Formats: sequence, structure tokens, C-alpha cells
Amino acid sequence: MRLARLLIVAVSLAASGCALDPFRSGSPTGPSSGSSSGNSAGRGPVVASAPEVTSAPQPEGAGIVVPPPSQLPRERPKTPPATLSPASRALVGQAQAQRKKGDLPGATVSLERALRIEPSNPLLWIEMGRLRMDQQNFPQAEAMGRKALAISVGDYHTQSAAWTLIADSLKARGRNSQAQEALGKARELAQY
Amino acid sequence: MTSRRPRSRSKRPLQKGFALLALLLLVVAVVIVAVLDHRVTRQFEGRRWTLPARVYAQPLELYVGQPLSAARFAQELERLGYLAQRSATRPGMYRRKGDRIELYVREFRFSDAVQPAQELRIGFSGDAIAELGNAQGVDVPVIRLDPLLIGSIFPIHGEDRIVVSPAQVPPLLPAALKAVEDRKFDTHHGVDPLAILRALVTNVRAGQVEQGGSTLTQQLVKSYFLDSRRTLGRKAEEAIMAVILESRFEKADIMNAYINEIYLGQDGRRAVHGFGLASQFYFGKPLAECELHEVALLVTIVRGPSYYDPRRHPERVMERRNLVLKLLAERGVVRPADAEAAMKQPLGVTDNAGRTANYFPAFLDLVRRQLREDYPEDALTETGLTVFSTLDPLLQEKAENALAEELARQDKSARKVSRGLEGAVVVTTPQTGEVVAVVGGRRASFDGFNRALDMQRPIGSLAKPLVYLAALETGRYTPASVVQDAPVEIKLPNGQTWKPGNYDKKMRGPVPIVRALTQSLNLATVNLGLEVGLGRVARAFVQLGLEEAPPEYPSMLLGAANLNPVQVAQMYNTLANGGFRSPLRAVRAVIDEEGKPLKAPELEVAEAAPAEAVYGLDRMLIEVFERGTGRPARNLLPASLVVAGKTGTSNDYRDSWFAGFSGGHLIVVWMGHDDNTPTGLTGTTGALPAWTKLMSSIDTVSFEPLMPEALEDRWVDYYTGRETSPNCPSVAVRLPFAIGYVLEPSDTCPPGTTPEEAALLAQQGDGAAPIESSPPLISPAKP
Repeated sequence: MRLARLLIVAVSLAASGCALDPFRSGSPTGPSSGSSSGNSAGRGPVVASAPEVTSAPQPEGAGIVVPPPSQLPRERPKTPPATLSPASRALVGQAQAQRKKGDLPGATVSLERALRIEPSNPLLWIEMGRLRMDQQNFPQAEAMGRKALAISVGDYHTQSAAWTLIADSLKARGRNSQAQEALGKARELAQY
Repeated sequence: MTSRRPRSRSKRPLQKGFALLALLLLVVAVVIVAVLDHRVTRQFEGRRWTLPARVYAQPLELYVGQPLSAARFAQELERLGYLAQRSATRPGMYRRKGDRIELYVREFRFSDAVQPAQELRIGFSGDAIAELGNAQGVDVPVIRLDPLLIGSIFPIHGEDRIVVSPAQVPPLLPAALKAVEDRKFDTHHGVDPLAILRALVTNVRAGQVEQGGSTLTQQLVKSYFLDSRRTLGRKAEEAIMAVILESRFEKADIMNAYINEIYLGQDGRRAVHGFGLASQFYFGKPLAECELHEVALLVTIVRGPSYYDPRRHPERVMERRNLVLKLLAERGVVRPADAEAAMKQPLGVTDNAGRTANYFPAFLDLVRRQLREDYPEDALTETGLTVFSTLDPLLQEKAENALAEELARQDKSARKVSRGLEGAVVVTTPQTGEVVAVVGGRRASFDGFNRALDMQRPIGSLAKPLVYLAALETGRYTPASVVQDAPVEIKLPNGQTWKPGNYDKKMRGPVPIVRALTQSLNLATVNLGLEVGLGRVARAFVQLGLEEAPPEYPSMLLGAANLNPVQVAQMYNTLANGGFRSPLRAVRAVIDEEGKPLKAPELEVAEAAPAEAVYGLDRMLIEVFERGTGRPARNLLPASLVVAGKTGTSNDYRDSWFAGFSGGHLIVVWMGHDDNTPTGLTGTTGALPAWTKLMSSIDTVSFEPLMPEALEDRWVDYYTGRETSPNCPSVAVRLPFAIGYVLEPSDTCPPGTTPEEAALLAQQGDGAAPIESSPPLISPAKP
């Protein structure tokens, strides 16, 4: 029930929120410079509702400045690929062994332990996403991938792994074209 | 013979009557015995004690690099009931020698596996673990300590117990029980007539009931049926049941049942049953680790848990305990020398009188509520679940102290209205969405009104970040966009007019968003919120994790929504987690009696808001500490610690809030009066000092989110929102914008201004804050 509710919220958010870019290029000031009394809610959102959950925050509408990843790398310094601390490495190893044995609750415990030690390590979120794949929880697998992306800015190697996870979770839900797109991003990023 | 005949004949009807009566009595007796047999046997064989769910805190993880000093680790071990010894030879012992600790970790069943007892060698260097290995010198990458038992979920007026198997009972305990309570236990058949007689004589002589002649078996039966009436009929019934038990079961089984059944103390609404729980309750450690003097103390308590309450009557108990020790030596259970040595020991009772049970009631309340979503009440109170919670005991203690100290400081305030305040604190770890501490009031150990959960109060300016988030999300605003800090009047549907004002009654005209937010300007926020639309702002509440959108009244822009501290924590947790929403969890895992994992809330994340918008908002919330309403806290925090947050004050100073986060922890603090009268405090003067005290006392890391790829940093004038140079005399703040965003340059001090040019400008007294010639850094805006 809770999951279902969450999913609905996630869907509506993805449909309405993700498509917007908050820092659009343009006028340096807000649209209003005169009197602001009264309700001007009439200036509605710029984006029409999207028909379904999109795999990535698909930019749409005018003035969006998020460039596709292929244009990014050369501009920005690359960060060295993320690595695991010895403690996390031991726990990830343990989790992988538990997954192999089919002990998914056990693997969850091990990975969560690692995440508490290194919550900002994107590799651990990707591992968690892989575990969610095993648990057939594909939406959460994708969400873990997106979390990994957000905390691996500039680390193309790790971002590539995150996109691969996202592609797998999309494919598992039959969203093949989106999966292809994600896989394309993974391949592109892997080149750097 | 013949002479008897007539007599007998004449008596025959009488005899017949007697015979009939005897038969009847026999039948009645048989029936009674059968009934009692049924009752007592079922009780004994079922022996399914209703086992309340046991709740543990999070275990301490040990690994190289863990920020933990030897001294603090030793404290942690003491809390877990580990014993400092010259060498750690048994589980539950440790030895500290400077920066090295030898430790014999106890066996513990976690939700994923049983971690066996093992010896560890730990080396500390400064404030962190530098080496971690086992007794053989092999490195151990990571290991858990056994966690602290923080409470049980027992029914109201219910029994609580920790069932122990014979292997977990020190052999001394049954021996001592027999020696003191029931010397003939091994041979009698349930009752000991001689003992009863002896007791009778003693009691008659004393003129009151001083000694009970009950065998352990009788005491067990009595405890089963929870009836302490001392009527003769009751006694007889007990005696019969005791005999029945003895005829049906082994002595060892009866002893084990006794050890797990008997009442040993009262802890508020909770009745402490069995020696397993009693050992935790009085000594804070497992029964197996009890020493002679502790066993003697437990045996003392059996006599009368209230009369011999070691926390309330330590002298009386000490006397009796030593008597027990003497008796044990006399009766050959222990060597006289050992008894002598034990007599010199203190009682050894933990000082947290009455706090062991639900030591952290506000946190346990949250655990109980989360579990109720998945489990029926009786499953929680009866089936022996083990619950692994997210509580961090050390952090919880610090949270309790920080709040208590600040409330005590306010008690001495010159303002009468600021005295006798109440408060609440919630602490989470944002990325994993775990609630690590909850304080429900100034008396944290008091299981009463839980302000962290049960209170609903207007959040005041804590609502402002949601307005700004909604604005940034539209893509039409940046941190430098100018909004009007100008009068607002709104006709409400009920005909009234809503006319909010700024905290200081001043208006600042056009201000950039960054200033409006950090200085918590009401009018600028209302104007912005109306431009963006109430619907969008209301939706931001849900995006960040509120179950239901607040009603779309204009006053919601200034925090009219009534929320509790946990709800605020849920929303701010999403901001602290880069826009990823994780349902807050107080429970990590649940296992049943056999160790099988059961349903528990999972770690979930959902992208709740665009990363760029959340990042921009978070950067402005950092500025709150640099030049906004959080500024007074800046110098009290570690200089290198980057934090972000927001003050909140509701109308007439009724509620004082602060919600803010580092890279590792989110803390929400509320202060106010239970009767909702004004406190005279703003968020800055009430909740913020407590927040600061707590934030600076914990191990945490800076809030340094990675900037999304589509953004870049630029310098803008804090007062105009125009692009400027860090060299300029006006206040320049670095804020994120979309790459290539066109910013209007400052007239007087544009980007690229060299230090020399800037110095010249400063001399001319020009270029500094065009709007307000000498703007105070902290304008007394409504925090």
C-alpha cells in the first residue's frame, strides 16, 4: 500500500517536477518588478504534464540549459573514480556472497552497514540498486542509480556504472527505448 | 461382635451417609485436582510466556578510521555492561591500556547472522581507530559490538521478561536460590511441611507474617496465577498444584521455569519478570556475566522486590545481601573467602533508576508507531520479536542534554514568559533516512506527552524554504532574482483582509531572493509565493515528504501549517539529501524468536525535486549562517564545519524552531509552551542555541554537496542581486547559476573589478550597498 502510494507520488512528481529546469538562462530578475499585491497564480507552470514517468529528467520546453552528457566531459575536470574504504569493501564482499546464496535480507543488512559508514560513496548506492534488482524492486533500483549519479558528479566511470544500472532497471520493466538511451549514456561516459 | 451388630445396624444409614459423603468428597477432590492439574500443566507446558518485542539501539561499528577515541570507546563499553579487567578472558570483559583496548565481544544474534563471541585488539590513534585485529593478530575489517537493549514493547501493566535457557544461567544462581529459599528443593514433592511449620512458628512468634514456608515450586505456581491473596484456600490450592507439577515434571524444568517466571521488580508500568531481564534491569548486562555478589543481590530481591528494591533501599538491601552471602558460605554453596570478598563489593546497580525500561520513551514511541503499520499489537507484545532500531544512544544523550541545558538557561531568563518552556528534538542521518534521536520534552526519560510526534504547531518561517524551492523549480527564478519586499493585502474568502508585516515593521523594496530568504523577510516571501502560486508551494510540502498538502491559504507562505518536529525533519531531510526523499525510519530490521527476518521498513529513495533547485536552495540556507538569522551561531560552531538551516518563529513568538543540517546530521529543535502562550523567543534566540550546542558536540561532517553539472558559481551583490566581484566593498556572495546564465552586472563594481579599483571605490564610499547605505549584516528580520 505504502509503496503504491509512494509510486503514485513519484510518478506525479516525475511528471511535473523533473521536466523543469530551475536555473533557466534569461532575464536576471524575476518576472515581476511592479506591484505584487493580489494573487498572480495565473502565471502557471511552464510545462505541460508529461504523460508518463520519464527515465531521466528529460528537458523540455524552451530555455533549458542542461546539456546532454556528451557535451559535458571536456568542459569540466574529471574526478578520479570512487573507491571503497576497506570496511565498505569487506561489507560489499559479504553482501555479494549473501546475494549469491539468495540471502537477500542478509545482503541488505551488509550493504546498509556500508552505507552508514560511507553514505556519500556512489558505488555503494549502485550496489544497493543491484540488490534491489535481485529483489525485483525495479523502481527502487533506478532510484538508487539516480542517487549514485547525483553524488558522482564529474566521476564518469562511476556515472557510467550508474546509468548501466538505470538501463537494466528500465529494461526489466519493458521500457526498452528509455533503457537504450540510458545505456547509450553509460557507453559514452565509459569512454572517458 | 454381636453386641456391635445392632449398633452397626442402627448406624448403617449414617455409615452409608458417610460413605456417600466421602465418595462425593472424593469425586469433588478428583475434579478439583483434575481441574488444577489441567490448569497448571497447561500453564507449565505451554510455557509460552508472552514475550514483548525487545528493541535494540544501533550497534557500534568498529573499523579502521572510525572516529572514536579510546576513552569514548571505553565509556561505550561501560554502557553495554562490559567489565574492565586485568585481562579480557571471558565475553563481556575488556582491558584498556592507554590507546589500546583488548576486548572480548559477546555473542549476539543480529538480523542477518549470529556474530560469535570473539577477542579483539583495538589500537587508537588520536580520535580514531587505527588498528583492529583479532587475538591471533589477523586484521578485522569491520565488526559490530552487541547493541544496547533500549526497551520492550509490553502491554499496559504488562509483564516484561528476557527468557534465558539453562545454559545462559550461571550455575551459582540455582544453587543460591535453593540454599536460601528452599533447601529441600531437590528432594521434596512440591511442598515442605516442615518449612511450613517452621514459618508458622516464626510468624506466630513475631505476630506478623515474616517468613513464607513456600517451596520454589509453590512460588512458581503462585506467580503463574498472579494472585497474592494469602487465604488458606488459596494456599491449599497452591500446594496441590505444586505437588501436581512435581509429579509431572523434572526438577530442572521447574527450576528453569522459576528463573524465567518470577517477579523481580517494577519499572513504571512494566513488571520485571525473570532473572534474565532483572540482570539487565539492575546491572545492565546479561545474566551469564553475573558475579557472586550480583547473584546474591538478585536472590535478595526475590524475597520482596519492592521491600528490597536496591535503588530505593540500598542499605537495607546491602544488609540482606550480605546475610545471603553468609548463608551461602554456611551452607557450603561458596567458599567463605569468596563470600567475604563479595561482601566488600558495592551493590553494583546501574544508577539509571527506572530508566532502563524504555529508557528513551519518545524514540520508542516512534518505533512502536512504525511497527504498528506492519504488525498487530499482540504480535508486538507477545511473540518475542527482536527489533533493531536506528537509535544512536550517545547522540540521543547529547540531544537530551543540549535541550535540557538550554531550557534551564531560559528558566533563568529575565523575561518571565521564557521560563518553564518545553521542547523537542529530532535528529536524522539524511542520506540513509534514519532517525537517530528523539527527545519528547524537557524530562526526556518521562514517558508522557511526546512533543516530537503528538504536538502540532505552526512552523513559521520554516515554511519559507519551500516557497523558494517552488520558485526555483519553475525555472523562472534564480538566487539573484529580485522580489518585492513591499506591502501585501489580500481579501480572504471570509471577507477579512490578510495583511502580513515584516518582523521589524520595515520594508526593503526590491531584494534578491538570497537576501529575502536568509534574512527571513516576510513580505518578500509572500509576494514571491503569490507569484509562484499557492498550489505549487503546497505541492512542495508533499514533494519533500509531508503526507498531505497544507491548505492553500496565503498564510501558509509564512508557516501557518501545523506540523510536528518529526514531520519537519522528514521535509528538511529531503533538502539535506540533495532532493532525494527517504521515508524516515526508526527500525532497521525485525526478527522472530527463531531469528527469521520479518517485515521492516526498507531504505528507499525517490528523486523528489530537481537537483539544481535543491542545490540552489541549500546554498542559500548555508548563507543563513553567514549573514542571515543563523549568524549568531556561526562563531559557536567549529570554524571548518559547513552547515545549512532555517529559523522559524510563529505568531506572537509562540513557537521557536530551528531546522538545519551538516553533511552527516539533520537536527530539528522546537521550543514553546504546552499551553501555546507566547515565549518571547524567536527561532534565533530559542531553538538555535540548543541546535548549535548539539551540532557542535557531535561527530559530523561538513555539508558540501556536489554542484550539479549544469551549474556554475558566480559572485553577486547580496543587496542588489547584480553580478559583482569578490573584491568589491559591498557584500558579495557566491551562488550557483545555470552555466552561461546572463546576470546584470553591478553599476558600480562589476565583475572583473581589481582589488586596486575596489579600494578606490571603498574610499569614495561608493559602490557599497546601493539600496541601504550601511545595511546591518543581521537586520532584525523575522527569523
